[in-house]
Amino acid sequence: MGIHKKIWFIMLLAFVLFLAACQGNNDVNETDDNETPDETIDTEENAGNNEDDMNDGNNEEEADHGGEVTVGIEAEPTSMDPQNTTDGNSATVQSTMFEGLLRFDEDMSIVPVLAEDYDYSEDATEVTFTLREGVTFHDGTEFDANVVKENLDYVRDSDNGLARSSFFSFIDEVIVDDDFTVTVRAEEPNSAMASYMAHSSAAMKSLEEYEKKNEDEDYNLDREGAVGTGPFQFVEWRDSEHVIVEKFDGYWNEEELARVDQITFRPVQEASTRVNMLQTGEVDLIFPIPTLNAGELEQEDDIDLYTGPTTDVFYIGMNFENEKYHDLDVRQAMNHAIDKDGLIAQVLDGYGTIADSAIAPNVYGYSGQPIYEYDVAGAQELMDGSGQPDGFEATLWTRNNTEFISVAEYAAIQLEEIGIDVEVQAYEAGTLFDMLDEGDGTDLWIGRWSPGTGEADYGLRPNFASDRVPPNFNNSGFYINEELDELFDEALATPDEDEALDIYADIQQRIYEDAPWVFLHIPDAIIAKNQNLEGVYVLPSGAVNLNLAEFR
Amino acid sequence: MLNFILRRLLGMIPILLIITIIAFLFVHLTPGDPIRIMYGAEIDQETYQQMRESEGFNDPLIVQYGRYMYNMTIQGDFGQSYRTRSDVSDEVLRRFNYTFVLTILSMFWAILIGVTVGIISATKRNSLVDRVGMISTITALSIPEFWFGLMMMQVFAVQLGWFPTSGSGTWIHLILPSLTLGFGVAATIVRFTRSSVLEVLREDYVRTARAKGQKESVVIWSHVLRNALIPVVTMAGLQFGFLIGGAVVVEQVFAWPGLGSYLIDGILTRDYPVIQALILLFSLQFLIINLLVDISYGFLNPQIRYE
Repeated sequence: MGIHKKIWFIMLLAFVLFLAACQGNNDVNETDDNETPDETIDTEENAGNNEDDMNDGNNEEEADHGGEVTVGIEAEPTSMDPQNTTDGNSATVQSTMFEGLLRFDEDMSIVPVLAEDYDYSEDATEVTFTLREGVTFHDGTEFDANVVKENLDYVRDSDNGLARSSFFSFIDEVIVDDDFTVTVRAEEPNSAMASYMAHSSAAMKSLEEYEKKNEDEDYNLDREGAVGTGPFQFVEWRDSEHVIVEKFDGYWNEEELARVDQITFRPVQEASTRVNMLQTGEVDLIFPIPTLNAGELEQEDDIDLYTGPTTDVFYIGMNFENEKYHDLDVRQAMNHAIDKDGLIAQVLDGYGTIADSAIAPNVYGYSGQPIYEYDVAGAQELMDGSGQPDGFEATLWTRNNTEFISVAEYAAIQLEEIGIDVEVQAYEAGTLFDMLDEGDGTDLWIGRWSPGTGEADYGLRPNFASDRVPPNFNNSGFYINEELDELFDEALATPDEDEALDIYADIQQRIYEDAPWVFLHIPDAIIAKNQNLEGVYVLPSGAVNLNLAEFR
Repeated sequence: MLNFILRRLLGMIPILLIITIIAFLFVHLTPGDPIRIMYGAEIDQETYQQMRESEGFNDPLIVQYGRYMYNMTIQGDFGQSYRTRSDVSDEVLRRFNYTFVLTILSMFWAILIGVTVGIISATKRNSLVDRVGMISTITALSIPEFWFGLMMMQVFAVQLGWFPTSGSGTWIHLILPSLTLGFGVAATIVRFTRSSVLEVLREDYVRTARAKGQKESVVIWSHVLRNALIPVVTMAGLQFGFLIGGAVVVEQVFAWPGLGSYLIDGILTRDYPVIQALILLFSLQFLIINLLVDISYGFLNPQIRYE
C-alpha cells in the first residue's frame, strides 16, 4: 500500500505546485493592477466588445461608448521616444501620442499640424514656422516656440546619444523669434527641411520629461517619456504583451478628438496567428500580412483588406570594386534578364509594382523612368557585346527571411539564362549588415531601401553618394559618381521646388540608365481590419494612422 | 542528504562561472551588431560609433566581460535590454512566471496522458489499444509543434471559438499552448513508460508476486510501477528542464510572453544582456532540476543512497 500513497503524494505535489504557480501569476497581475487600476478590466471589456461586434452586430452602443481598438502588430516597439526610433512599429504606436510641426498625409504631401504655416527664406537656409496657440501636452504644460527649440536642440546634441541625432544634424541653430514663431536655420541650403520636420522623429515632447532626465540620469525616456500632444496618451507598455494608449480629452483639435477610448497594440510575431486573431475578432486590425494570407482574407466578408504601394524599393546591389560589373552592358543585361512582372506575380502574389526608379512613386521628387523590359535575347546580345560573353559566377547575399530568399532565388534562376551562375547565400539580417559594412567580399546582394523622410535626398544619397561607401552606410557597392555627388548638393541648395524637382529627375535618370542596381519591385503595404472599424489609413512609409479610428 | 545537497550546490559555482564565459563569448563573437540591427542604416556612421562607444562595445572583450561580471555579481545588475530598454532582471522574473505556469500545466498533461497510456499499452501489449497508442505517439512525435499549434488554434479557437487564439491574461489562454506543448512530451513519456514497464514485467520478482497469487492491480501498482517509473522520472525531469527554458516555438505561435520568446527576440536583435542572462538562468535551472531528479530517485526507491 505504501507505494500508492507515495504516487498519490507526488501527483498531489505536482498539482499543488501548479496551483501555486497559477497563484503566483495572479499575484503579478494584481500588483500591476494596483499601479494602473484600469487596464486589465479595460482589456477584458474590450474582448467583450469585440464579441458583440462579431455576434450581435450591436454597433449603436459602440458609437456611444467609443469602444476600444486592438491592433496586432508584427513586432514590439523598441521605444516610446520618437527621437530614438527608426522602426515602423514604434512609429505606428508613437504616432497616436506624438505630433510634430508638420506631417505627411496619405499621399506623402506635407500638411501642417502644430505649425499653422511655414516659410523658406530666399536662399533655402532658413525655414520659419508660425506655431499653433492653445496646444497642451498630456501633462498639462503648454506648447510654444521654446518647446520646439528645446526638443530640436536635445535630439541633435549627439551627447544625448539618440538614434535620430544625425537626422537633424543639418540644423545650425533654432531661433525663438517670439512665443509662437520659431526659425530653423540650416548649415547649408536645404530645401528638404520641411520634409525632415514632417518626419515622425521630429515629434514634440513635453519639456518636463527632459527635466526629469536632467534630474535623474537613470530616468528612462524610452519607456516612460511618452508625453506628447497627440489625441491619445500613454498608459502602459508590457514587453511582449501590449502597449496601451487612451483617449486624451484635452486634445487641441476638437474636430479630430479620438473617437475611441483606447487602443491596445499587441505584438504577435507569427503572421498566421495574427490572421487567426483577426478572424476570431480578438484584434480589429493587423499588419503587415504575408501576401499569401492576403488573398485568403480578401475572400472573407467581415474583413476589409487595404493595399497600397510602400516606399520600399527592392534591388540587387552589385559591388563596383569587382570588375565583373564595370561594363554598363553587363549591368543593363542583368536588368533586362529579370522578369519583374513574373517576380511580382509569383513571389509577391501580385501585391507589388515594378520599380521604375531608385525611389518609389510615393517619395517626394520621384521621377519614373522607362523600365528595363524583360528581354532575355536582348540581354544575351548585351552580354555578347561585353567583355564577358560567356557570363560569370556570382554570389548573391540575401537576408534569411522568406520574402528576401524567394526574391533572391527567383532572380538567380533568371540570371542563369544569360550565363550568370548565381549562388544564393542567405544570412540573418544582423550578419548581413555586418558583412556589407565590412565591404569585404561583397558581390551581389538583395537590398531594400525606404527613405524615412519621404523625399528624394534621403532616398538617393545614402545609396549612391561617394562618401557613403563602407564602413559608412548604405552605398555597400562602392558606387562612385562625382557628377551625382554635385547634383545631390545642388538639389538641396535649390529653394525653388520645381527647379529642385528637375534636378532630382535628372539624377534619377542618370542612376537608372547607369544601372548600379538591378531594379526590382516596390511591395504593397497590406493591412486587414474588421469591417466595422473605420477611419484608419496606411502611410506609404508603412506606418498605420489610427488617430481617427472608430467603430461603425 | 543535506550534506549531499550542499556539496552539489557548491559544485555548481565553477560550472556557472564557465557558463558565463562561454555565454559571453558566444554572444559577442557572433556576427551582427545590436545597434546596427536595431537602427538599420537610418543612423549615420558618427551616431553609430558614438552609440557603440557609450555601450562600451569598443572596449577589449576582457574589459567588457569584467564589467559584465562586476555589474552582475556585485551590483546584482543584469543590464538593460537593447531592444526594449527594460531592465533585464525584472523582465526575466516576470516572464519566468509565464513560462513556469505553462511548463507545469504542460507537464501535468504530459504525465497524465503519458503514464496512463504507457501503462495501458504495456499491460495490454499488442492489443488494439496498444497499437492505436503507439501510432498516436509516433504521430505526435513527428508533427512539428508550430503546425500542431496552428491547427489547435484553427480548430479550437477560430472554428469552435472555445479558447482565445493567443496572448495571455487568463488561465483560459493557457489551455491551447500547454496542450500543444504537453502532447509532444506525452508521446515521449508514453514510449518510455511502456518499454520500462515491459522490461520490469519480465523480472523475477513480478513472476514471484503473481505466483503467490497477488491481484494483478497490486502487482502493477506496487511492484512494477515502483521500479518502472525511475527512468520515466529522469526523462520527465529532463523534459521539464527543456520546457522551463521556454518553449520557443509554442510561445512564438501563441504569443505567450515567456522566456522562450524573450530568448528568440534577444538572439535576433543580438540583445547581449538578455541572451547572457537567459543562458545563465537556463543552465542554473538544468543543474537544479538534475539535483531534484537525483533526490527523487531515493524517494521512489529507498535502496538508492546519497553518498
